[in-house]
Amino acid sequence: MSDHIDGPRQIGDPSADLTDLFAFTSPENPARTVLAANVFPTCGVDAIFSNAINHSIVVRRAKVAGIGDATKFETADPEIRFSCRFDGLERGAADGKPIQRGTCTMPDGQTLRFVVGDEKGAATPDGTFRVYAGMRSDPFILAWIFTGGGMRKFQNLLLNDNVLCIVVEFDTLRVLDPGKGSLFAVIAETIPIPRPGGFVGHEPPRMDWVGRPEQTNVRLNNSGLKDVDDLRDLWNQQTPFAIDEKVRPLFLQRLKDSLANYDMRDGRQDWTPTALAANAQMFVDDFMLVDVAKPITDTSHLEIEKSTLNGKAYQTGGGRTVDSNVIDILLTWIVNHDRESLEGGTTKATKPGTKNFPYFATPNLDMQTVAETVELKATPDKVWELIGQFGAAYWHPLIAEIRLTGTGPGQLRTIETIDGKQIIERLDVVDDPSRFYRYANIAGLPVSNYTGMLSVKPNGAGSSVEWRAQFLPNGPGALIAKTIVSTLFKTGLDSLKSRF
Amino acid sequence: MIEAAVADSECFQTTDGEIAIINLNSARLRSWSRFYQDPQHAGVAETVLEHEQLTAQFASDLSALGRMEAFGEQLGQLDASSPRTLVIQAQIASALHRFSDARHHLAQASLGGAPYEDVKRILLSVDQACGTNLEEVLDERRRIAAKSGQFEDRVALGALLGDLGEFEHADQTYRQALREYQDVSPFPVAHVCFQLGMLWGELVPEPELARADCWYRKAVASLPCYVRARVHLAEICSATGRAGEAEAMLRPALASGDPEASWRLADVLNAEGRFDEAALHLEAARSGFEALLDKHLLAFADHGAEFYAGSGGDPLRALELAQINLRNRSTLRAFEQTYAIALEAGETDVANEISAKATRRWGNVFAFQFSPFVQDSLETGKGAAA
Repeated sequence: MSDHIDGPRQIGDPSADLTDLFAFTSPENPARTVLAANVFPTCGVDAIFSNAINHSIVVRRAKVAGIGDATKFETADPEIRFSCRFDGLERGAADGKPIQRGTCTMPDGQTLRFVVGDEKGAATPDGTFRVYAGMRSDPFILAWIFTGGGMRKFQNLLLNDNVLCIVVEFDTLRVLDPGKGSLFAVIAETIPIPRPGGFVGHEPPRMDWVGRPEQTNVRLNNSGLKDVDDLRDLWNQQTPFAIDEKVRPLFLQRLKDSLANYDMRDGRQDWTPTALAANAQMFVDDFMLVDVAKPITDTSHLEIEKSTLNGKAYQTGGGRTVDSNVIDILLTWIVNHDRESLEGGTTKATKPGTKNFPYFATPNLDMQTVAETVELKATPDKVWELIGQFGAAYWHPLIAEIRLTGTGPGQLRTIETIDGKQIIERLDVVDDPSRFYRYANIAGLPVSNYTGMLSVKPNGAGSSVEWRAQFLPNGPGALIAKTIVSTLFKTGLDSLKSRF
Repeated sequence: MIEAAVADSECFQTTDGEIAIINLNSARLRSWSRFYQDPQHAGVAETVLEHEQLTAQFASDLSALGRMEAFGEQLGQLDASSPRTLVIQAQIASALHRFSDARHHLAQASLGGAPYEDVKRILLSVDQACGTNLEEVLDERRRIAAKSGQFEDRVALGALLGDLGEFEHADQTYRQALREYQDVSPFPVAHVCFQLGMLWGELVPEPELARADCWYRKAVASLPCYVRARVHLAEICSATGRAGEAEAMLRPALASGDPEASWRLADVLNAEGRFDEAALHLEAARSGFEALLDKHLLAFADHGAEFYAGSGGDPLRALELAQINLRNRSTLRAFEQTYAIALEAGETDVANEISAKATRRWGNVFAFQFSPFVQDSLETGKGAAA
C-alpha cells in the first residue's frame, strides 16, 4: 500500500498515518495546481481529523543536477508550505453529527478557515487559494499480493475504503512563479502540535511523511528480504529533503537490496548494477517531482525520474493524478525496467477521480450487516442435512427453482423466486464438519460486495441456525436493501421451525 | 522535581478523546467489513481483535466482549487448526480471563508452528494475570523493555512491578513510558495515567489519595469516556467528602451501561440520603453485574465479588465469586480479596484456610509483607503482647 499503515507509530493513531500524496494540474482550470494528501487508511465512514496534528504539504524548487547513472535532483529553499490544523468537535445541528472546522495556513501567511466535509471548500478572497478537507473514497489501487519471492495478481485490497483527504488548489503563476523554474519537489508530513507544558512525550517528533508512493511499504520494507530490520519508523522520523547523513547509507543499502530483489521477481535481471545503484540513489531522495509547465496525466507519474535515469530529457510534468495507477507504474519500472507493462488484478480504483473540485470521489458507504438466527429442537447434523447443501435450498419457501453451474467452491446457483425474480450466488467456502458455508451474491439483490454465511451450531440438545450477510447497498438505499435481505433470511429460518 | 512537573501539568499532546473514540468506532466497523469480505487476508482478523479490545477497554462498550467471543467462534469455523486462529483465540480467551483456554490455544498454536515471539508475548500476559512464574515473567519483561524501549513493553513491566510491591520502580517505569511517548493517540496515555492512579490509590499499603486523584484526573482529561478512571476518581472524591464532584464524575458514565458506575453512584446518593434514587441505581448495578456474570463469569467474578461484598449486600454470593476468581488465577490480590470477603461473611475457617494457602503460595514474595495476612498477624501479635 502506498504509505498506508507504514510503521508502529502510525498504527497508534491512524489519523496521523499519511496514505498518499498527489500533485496535478486542475482538471477544472489548467492555470491552477492541485496538491492533496490523504490520511487514515481504512477509516470507516465517521472518521475525523486529529486535532493534535499539523498536516503539511511542502513544495521546494527542484532542478536536475545529474542524469543517467549520475542522476540527482536537487531541491532548494525556501519552502512553500501549506499547513492544516483541525479543531476539536462542535456539536452538530439537526442530524446530531459533530462539526469539525480547520485552518489552513498558506505559504504567504494567509489563513483560511473551512468546515470539514464541505465539498465547496473555502477560498481566499482573491481566489488564489482554495482548500477542501474531508472524507473521500480511497483512490489507491493495490491489486497485487507480495509473497516472499513473488507477486500475485489480486483484487484491489483497498476496495471500498475511505480516507481523510486534504486538497489545496492554487493559482500556479502566483504561488509557484514557474518563470524561475517549473520543476518542483513535493512532500507531505504529519507532525504533533507542540503544547507548552505538555508532559507526554518529548520534543515533538515527526509522525509520518510521504514523497513518492511506496517508499516505505514496497521499497524499504520488502517482504522478499529475509531477516532484515523494519526501517519504516526510522524513515518516518527523518526530516524530508534532509535525510540524516548518518543513517542515509543504511537506507541506501536497503533500497539497493530491495530493488535488486524486485528486479528478479520475474526471474529475469533487467537492471545493470550501476543503473540499479543510480535508481536507489534517486529513490533515497524521496519527494514527488512535478513540472507545472508540462502535461501531468494519469500515466506521467515517475516519468521525470525515469527519463533522467535513462539519460534523456523528461517530457511530462510527472506528478500524480487521482487516477494514476502508481503501483503498476512502479512495479513495471523496478521489476522489468519498463520492458513490459505489468498490470495487477484490476486497474480501477473503487471510484475514479472527478473532473471537479475537490477531484476525489465521494466516500463509500459502510457495509451493512443482516444477521438472523433461529433455535431448533433437532440436532445440528439433522438440520445441516436439510439446509447445508448450497445447491439444494428448496427448503426455503420463497425459492421456486434452482439451476446449478459447477460443483464445490465456485459453484453458481441461479435462483428463481416464487414471484419470478432471479438471484445468482456463488459458493465460496463450504465446511460440512463445521456445518458452515460462505457465498457471494452475484446478481439479483440491490447490493454489492455481498458476502453471506449460513451456519448451524449445537444449542443444548438442539441447534441454532445463523444466517448472516454483509453488503453495500446499491440503488434504493441501505434501509430497503437491509429489509429485502432480512425478509429473505427470516422467512427461510422461520420455515424451519415447522420442519424440526 | 519530575514528579511535581508531571503532576502540575494539565496539557496533553494527544488527539481529543472524543475524536479518538469516534475514529476507533469508525475503524472498528470498517475492520469487520474487511474481515467479512476476505477473512483470510493477512492482518484483517488481528485488526478486528485489536479494535474490539480497545473498544472494550477505553470506550467502555462491554458488548465488545461478546463480539470478541463470537469472533473467535467465527474464526474457528473458517480454519480451526491454523496457528493464526489459535493465537487470536488465545488472545480472546485471555481478554475474557479464560486463562486455561488461552494456554490450551497457545500450546496448540505452538505445535502448529505459530511464531515463537507471538506465543511468548501472550503467554507472558497470561502468566502475569495469573500470578504464575512471576520471577521469570519479571526477568523477561525487563529484558524486553530494555531491548525494545517501546511504550507498551514499559507499561507491562510497570504493571508487574506494581503487582510485586515494587511501587517506586513501577511509578518510575510508568512515568518514563509517558515521557518517552511519541504518539498522539490518547488511549495509551489514559491507560498509564489510570495505572498510576491505581498504583498510588490502591496498590500501595498506605494509599496517597491526592496523588491517585491527580492521575485519574489526567486519565479522564485524556479520555472523557474512560469509565474505569471516572469510577475510581469518583471513589476518591466520595471518600474525601466531595460527593457532588463524585456524582458529576459518575453521571456521564451511566450511559456506558457499566454496572460499576451505577453501583458507585448509588453509594454516593446513599451517603447523601437520597435513598430512592440510590435504590434504583443499585438495582441497575445488580442486574448489570448478573448479566455480565452470566455471559463472562471469569472476566467479572472479582468485580462481582467486590460489588456483593459492598453495597450489593450479599456476602455469600461475594465469597462464591471471589473463590471462582481465586481458582481461576491465584494472584496475591485474589487471595487478599477472598480472605477479606470470607472474614466479612463470618466464614472464619475459610478465611484461615485462604490465609494459609496464601502464605504458602506468596509468603516468599516481597509484596506479601504488605498483605493483610502479615498485617493481621502483626495486629494479633501486638494485641497478644499488650
